[in-house]
Amino acid sequence: MKSDKIIEELLGEIEKYEGKMSRREAMKFLAASPVAASVLAGSIGTTQAKASSSATGKIVIVGGGLAGVSTAAKLCNSLSNPDVTIIEPNPKSVSYQPGQTLIGGGVWQKSDIEYKIEDFLPKGVKLIKDSVVSFDPTNNKVKISSGEDITYDYLVVATGLMLNYGGIKGLEGEITSAGENTIVRQKVGKNGVYSIYFADGAVDTYKGIQELIEKAKKHTGTEKLQAYFTDPSTPIKCGGAPKKIMYLTHARLVEAGVRDKVDLIFCPSGSKMFGVTEYHEAILAQFKARNFKWEYKTNLVAIDTDKKVATFEKTWLEKGEYDEDLKEYTMVQMSKEEERKYDFIHITPPQKASDIVGKSPIGSSKGWVPVAQETLQHVKYKNIFSLGDVAALPMGKTGGSIRKQYGVLADNLIAVMEKKEKLPSAYHGYTVCPLITSIGTVMLAEFDWTAKPTPSFPLDPTQERWIWWLLKVYALKPMTIYGMLAGRA
Amino acid sequence: MKKLILIVSSAVALIALSGCGDSPKSNTVTYKYTPAEVYKATCSHCHGDKGEGKAEKKAPAINKKIVQELELDLFDIKNGGLGQSTATEHDVMEHNMQKLTEKGYDYDIKAMANYIFNTFNINK
Repeated sequence: MKSDKIIEELLGEIEKYEGKMSRREAMKFLAASPVAASVLAGSIGTTQAKASSSATGKIVIVGGGLAGVSTAAKLCNSLSNPDVTIIEPNPKSVSYQPGQTLIGGGVWQKSDIEYKIEDFLPKGVKLIKDSVVSFDPTNNKVKISSGEDITYDYLVVATGLMLNYGGIKGLEGEITSAGENTIVRQKVGKNGVYSIYFADGAVDTYKGIQELIEKAKKHTGTEKLQAYFTDPSTPIKCGGAPKKIMYLTHARLVEAGVRDKVDLIFCPSGSKMFGVTEYHEAILAQFKARNFKWEYKTNLVAIDTDKKVATFEKTWLEKGEYDEDLKEYTMVQMSKEEERKYDFIHITPPQKASDIVGKSPIGSSKGWVPVAQETLQHVKYKNIFSLGDVAALPMGKTGGSIRKQYGVLADNLIAVMEKKEKLPSAYHGYTVCPLITSIGTVMLAEFDWTAKPTPSFPLDPTQERWIWWLLKVYALKPMTIYGMLAGRA
Repeated sequence: MKKLILIVSSAVALIALSGCGDSPKSNTVTYKYTPAEVYKATCSHCHGDKGEGKAEKKAPAINKKIVQELELDLFDIKNGGLGQSTATEHDVMEHNMQKLTEKGYDYDIKAMANYIFNTFNINK
């Protein structure tokens, strides 16, 4: 009981500070803390202790987001004569995307996540403010939109992915989280249709939750308001976000005293909550405790934003004939479309590699850049590497994955530059999902390709904890922005 | 109270920055059959003796895919999707694989992908 009281008190204090003290100030406190400082210094020390390489060659990095800039910084830390160029058109490319859920939940402002690439460009790295329009890996060059050819000796593809809202019938546009989004915002961000997957959309989502609360306050009758949360059939960045925004909406409805007026329904394309059994079961228990509803294999395919009707494709397997070879009944996939009236819908858009990458010689049939999963080296072109959202890797398209990828990539790229036969470093699919389960709690789901929990801390990873909320809200951003972008964390 | 927040945030930062191990948990799974044995006993019935596929079994050819594609497909099949709640692209095969696993025909994804590629790929 005593520890619960301390937690309550602490959370109460943090709530108070959110009014009085800006989050930026809280960050300053954190940065000024001697413990944090010594840890940062310690990690810098280990990086510098590594022998630097005198290998040379022109490295071009396509994409200046978290993956591209962290890789550039790491290469500059490790090479004695680095020649690194980043091609990136968006001045705010290093904005902190994991904060978008917190914006959608009304915990952060948009200004809390906006960061300029200029401020984080490693010393000596050249920035070309333009975008690549074609790849020519046979001749080691890329063309940018100005028409100029940029040649390279080594290429790192870190373009990120495209949010394909246009993949849902009734919506238009293929955008990035921090880029131009007018076309999508014609229909998303108003009239009950929201999406936290781009920063402006996250700002709109919090307004949408408040509208839902107002609507619920006036709502009478036995039928509840219907709030849907979708999860598409493509790989997505931050697999937890479709659920996190649902937990946060729930928290805000409870806070306003209107939770009983609204049904919250999760509609994923797949048939489970998580690929790791332990986390799947933990999330199911959390869903039940919050009286959430869910329908598996229910994929949003169309939306009529005027009539407020969403169309879901439901799929299932039916028993077919007995198969002598398999010694089992064969299964036949069935599907049908179902229309649902909604009052609120949070859309997680289908996601894809940009066609400029996906349909180029460095892409693949599914678009994602095919790399050897452990080394991150391109399967066809040995002087090309890829990481982050655009790489064809299972499970993790998260900042947490990038944190474990960029060092591996830099080590292996340098080995190629040094003409070594064997690539020294391997990525094992580690990723982390700090699953926000309420305002004040997070379940820190860490896992890798073994599909087993891989906790970094000696604590039961299936529990929701306030300490992970503090990690998510106060510690991960400085670690990412000041640690990773400098190639040091 | 400021101090308490400071201490707690610092502690969180400390474990976040220092606590994450780089090496994966060792995963000692032993399999009853080799990939070649599993292929011959089960996969070949539908995907063919040379990975050429069989239309009447609705089983696609797997003799043109590169190792990377095979690994991703096998991961999708065994894990039931590549993400948290994302649908598998192999609904029927995911079901079949569960049945095969129950019968002992499980395999290491990487080993099986390499076996299929090295034995059957026609574009090598």
